[in-house]
Amino acid sequence: MEISSIFNDWLLASVRMAAPLMLLGIGGVFTERIGVFNIGMEGMMLVGAMAAVAGDLVTGSVWVGTLCAMLAGGLLAVIHAYLTVTRRANQIVSGAAINLLALGLTNLLYGPLYEGFKYRPRVALYPKLAPPAWQEIPILGPVLFAQPVIVWIAFALPLVATWILYRTSWGLNIRAVGDHPHAVATAGVSVFRLKYIGVILSGVFSGLGGSALVLADLGMFGPNLTAGRGFIALAALAVGSWNPTWVAAACLFFGAADALQLRAQTWSQTYGVNIPYQFLVMVPYLLTIVALAGLVGRTAAPKTVGKPYEPESY
Amino acid sequence: MKKRTATVLPGLGGFVLPYARPFLAIALALLVSAGLILARGANPIAAYTAMLQGAFGSVAALANTGVRATPLLLGGLGVALGFKAGLLNVGAEGQIYAGGIAATAVGISPLPVPPWLHLLLTVVAGFVGGALWGLIPAYLRAYRGVSEIVVTLMLNYVGIQLASFLVQEYAPLGEQGVFYPQSPLILPSAHLPILIKGTSLHGGIVLGLVLGVFLHFVLRYTNFGFRTRMVGENPEAARYAGVDVRRQIFTALSVACGLGGLAGTSEVIGLKLRLFDRFSQGLGYDAIAVALMANGNPLGVILTAIFFGALRAGAGKMQVVVGIETPIASVIQALAVLFVIAIGFTERARVTRREREQEPEQERAVHGDQ
Amino acid sequence: MDRNGDIALRMVGITKRFPGVLANDNVTFELKAGEVHGLLGENGAGKTTLVNILFGIHQPDSGEIFINDKKVEVTSPRAANDLGIGMVHQHFMLVENLTALENIVLGLPLERPPLLDLNPARARFRELTKEYDLDLDPSTPVWQLPVGDQQWLEFLKLLFRDARILILDEPTAVLAPSQVERLFKTIRYLADEGCSIVFISHKLREMKEVADRVTVLRDGHVVGTVDPRGTTPSQLAQMMVGRDVFLDRRSRPLSESKQAVLAINGLSCQDDRGTLALRDLSLNAYAGEIVGVAGVDGNGQRELAECIAGLRQPTRGTVQINGKPVSGVVRDTSLLGFIPEDRRKTGLVLGFGVAENLILKTFAEPRFTRHRVMQWGAIQQEANTLIQEYDIRTPHSMMPVRFLSGGNQQRVVVARELSGDPALVVASQATRGLDVSAIESAHKMLLRERNRGAAVLFISTELPEVLALSDRIIIMFEGQIMGELDAESADVGLIGELMLGHREVAEMAAGETV
Repeated sequence: MEISSIFNDWLLASVRMAAPLMLLGIGGVFTERIGVFNIGMEGMMLVGAMAAVAGDLVTGSVWVGTLCAMLAGGLLAVIHAYLTVTRRANQIVSGAAINLLALGLTNLLYGPLYEGFKYRPRVALYPKLAPPAWQEIPILGPVLFAQPVIVWIAFALPLVATWILYRTSWGLNIRAVGDHPHAVATAGVSVFRLKYIGVILSGVFSGLGGSALVLADLGMFGPNLTAGRGFIALAALAVGSWNPTWVAAACLFFGAADALQLRAQTWSQTYGVNIPYQFLVMVPYLLTIVALAGLVGRTAAPKTVGKPYEPESY
Repeated sequence: MKKRTATVLPGLGGFVLPYARPFLAIALALLVSAGLILARGANPIAAYTAMLQGAFGSVAALANTGVRATPLLLGGLGVALGFKAGLLNVGAEGQIYAGGIAATAVGISPLPVPPWLHLLLTVVAGFVGGALWGLIPAYLRAYRGVSEIVVTLMLNYVGIQLASFLVQEYAPLGEQGVFYPQSPLILPSAHLPILIKGTSLHGGIVLGLVLGVFLHFVLRYTNFGFRTRMVGENPEAARYAGVDVRRQIFTALSVACGLGGLAGTSEVIGLKLRLFDRFSQGLGYDAIAVALMANGNPLGVILTAIFFGALRAGAGKMQVVVGIETPIASVIQALAVLFVIAIGFTERARVTRREREQEPEQERAVHGDQ
Repeated sequence: MDRNGDIALRMVGITKRFPGVLANDNVTFELKAGEVHGLLGENGAGKTTLVNILFGIHQPDSGEIFINDKKVEVTSPRAANDLGIGMVHQHFMLVENLTALENIVLGLPLERPPLLDLNPARARFRELTKEYDLDLDPSTPVWQLPVGDQQWLEFLKLLFRDARILILDEPTAVLAPSQVERLFKTIRYLADEGCSIVFISHKLREMKEVADRVTVLRDGHVVGTVDPRGTTPSQLAQMMVGRDVFLDRRSRPLSESKQAVLAINGLSCQDDRGTLALRDLSLNAYAGEIVGVAGVDGNGQRELAECIAGLRQPTRGTVQINGKPVSGVVRDTSLLGFIPEDRRKTGLVLGFGVAENLILKTFAEPRFTRHRVMQWGAIQQEANTLIQEYDIRTPHSMMPVRFLSGGNQQRVVVARELSGDPALVVASQATRGLDVSAIESAHKMLLRERNRGAAVLFISTELPEVLALSDRIIIMFEGQIMGELDAESADVGLIGELMLGHREVAEMAAGETV
């Protein structure tokens, strides 16, 4: 019984911690498929998390918070889109600067956010979808039904995104434009519009991921809450070959690693196995490196990722 | 960078602005931030005045600026060198910790050597620590083609955790009986000398300035620098010219990471005099911003690091005087970088068009004479 | 063959200005229904701009376009598609990881939006491939298709959209002679069906074969419209360039040298994908001769050049230049001068100055680097000498090379590679993308090297150039040498067969002449 409850516990946490990653993964697929590298997703997630808490704090509604998160992420993404698509700036530089901006802004506004509060209040969280009875079902019960709604959304959206990507003509355009934007332009489709939409989507999803990070269980915001999760999502894109469903699976894997290290910290203390928690924290990050290193030669990234689109260079 | 051609800004007609881009970007960043300050209910003029005072208004202020600028300068040089080689070394944060760890290990050990040698060994250890930290991304990038961006980013977090572990009470570099995880005091023989009595301004700034000039010299006047720049501009052409591209990337990235290690070293043996848990708080990321604004030029890095250091030093005074919290400095920094890359494009676009259309004109001019 | 003289397309008074240049200067162009109309001109003459305007990529500053006597505005490629204008671009507009069918369907209006229903398109695809006798599977990913099939796919895109005005931009660039024949037949078929075709090319001989009329552009304005059958290639060249251009075979002193400068023995190597690119190839080149290497692109020529230059490791066999074996990149400019195909990608560092590019290989030599410090004074001096000698037009020696014109960029490459008087010169597709006068100077330059006593290896897909320039011709196919011929007496038809690997035909022909 103990073993299975540990396992359950871990599964539960994995799923919950994977959710924000999975949401970022979808956004990442869209932006890289259209040819723009967005390492600013980390920053967009961060502002999303803060905006989620802010909106929830003011209105008491978790859904208003969600909306605020998506808006915040989307706004930062507009900046990134403008700089990389219209101004054709270096995409890495733009993303890095946006991360710095996000960090600065959230640190700056952290004080005002909780002004007047002695202790940080816990804001309204996402409701859990299923009736309590279902949650009692052995093994599957807690894992599937004791999750906040946002987890369900995080699991459903990749499937929707995959369907859109492969079954609609808009999805076809998305798949084409990152590989050969001129082909898309001469077919009469607006490349700029596709690219803007792709980048903004990545911001919106990153914001949503921030909201998932903060309103699923935590209920409060702290400085630099995201701790590099946005970057892990980037690695998942390559592991998942830029297919939303596989990317989500990769994110689940990384989320499990994240959950494992948290659990392991408690386990080691309970069972007297003294692994310093720092090494456990390292695990997801090291795992990402190993995954990337193992992929060498087999990645098939969209061909023009990183290169600005120049309509005249025909 | 040599002479530039005219830069045309949108809507500003035919302005000629060689080298003025970064200044314009800074001005715009300050303008937008003034808006933020206003929104928070403070007077921007008063705020910026306080900031200037805090950065340059007294000897103590200048020293403060120098202290803040030092890690940004050293780290920025590391990122800049990577830049010149065509690499994006965003792992400065991890290298700072790695360098700090290595320097601490040597700095707290009572070695039977004269003090100056102890200091030298400590500094070298810090460089090596950073370079070793860069081995994995350097190898993966040079010989396996794995993007250094995500790898160095991941190693940042690993570095933070590793340092955190090592300074716990029970760990090799930990001090006993303290409430906050830290290493034992660095032995005085391994301290960087204080430059101005009564301040914290230490020799790290001199190290940074010297290395900045040296790096500029290397890039301009040595074969290593020439090869590095070639690889950074066009690795294919470099290969055709007989350069061992993989080895060049590997070496350049390793040295760049070593410079990042020096940034951490100088903080530990110059300022903090111990290795504290999480002592960096994002210095590595600031260093990236410094290098980006300077477009990878070592001399520009010196100027930008001083500017960013001034921002940080002044922000403290700004908080005291008008009550705006210190992260405003990060916001100004980030906005400055964003504006630099937004403005920078115009020159490139004009050029792309002009060079393409110049072709027929010049062809005519040339072949008509034959 | 035009039908009844109906004017399908008229472009009147088209003027287009870009910063610094007048690309189209009051151009008037007329296309009859069912006509194949050639558009001829050098790079920068304005033909690309003109068709880009027709296809909606640019907007003219002034001028009008009439289709079937009705004034139209072509505001975008989509508008062009709607108006029945289609274009096959010089560089394929195909997304390689998508299937043939998906590429065709890209941008087409849908039956049931937003769903991507490929079935009606698939049916039409099969219809069309049957009509044009093509062997194309709609679900093949494009990267798997051979280049000739990719081009047919581009055609199919136009047919799918019922294009009546077709613009073909340099369509024969990647085809072997017999494939070109097939293409021309299809073009004539389409013309007979009533399509009107604009055919852009810089190959004078092709204009004679396929075009009904030819309009020549120079410096943005129309020089004239002629019947190609009544005009000689040199007359056309004269119109294009404004002066006499000599592209035929030049007389040359005979060289009796038996000294093998280049000795290749049993060379085998792999290409980037791991397949065998060169199979047991042996070749000698002697001082004072030009060896032309003919063949359709992609038959190992690039790998051969790379193995000679030391850029690629052979799996078997040896390469020797002047008796010295090649191992690793050859940096000695007295041994090898290598003129690559893509000067911008591999020949030059665009961000570097002219001087820096000139010393790209020699920067470590004692005259340029003393005591580990680079001597920019000496470097600039050397650069200025070369700039004068090779007539490189640049304001100063530190000017970033990206600001130079294409021709001057080429001169920088040539200056760097040839200033050391190399024993062996390898020109790998060196005239690709150059216009007629630039090709003429390139030929003169290579001939000069030959007469100086260098061995020249001229690798090119342009058969007429190979014939004009070479002393000996070898034909490559699938990494092997199919045959070797004397250039003076070469039979073009035979070469064409060998380029396609038809050795039996060659042997048969050889047998007959004996």
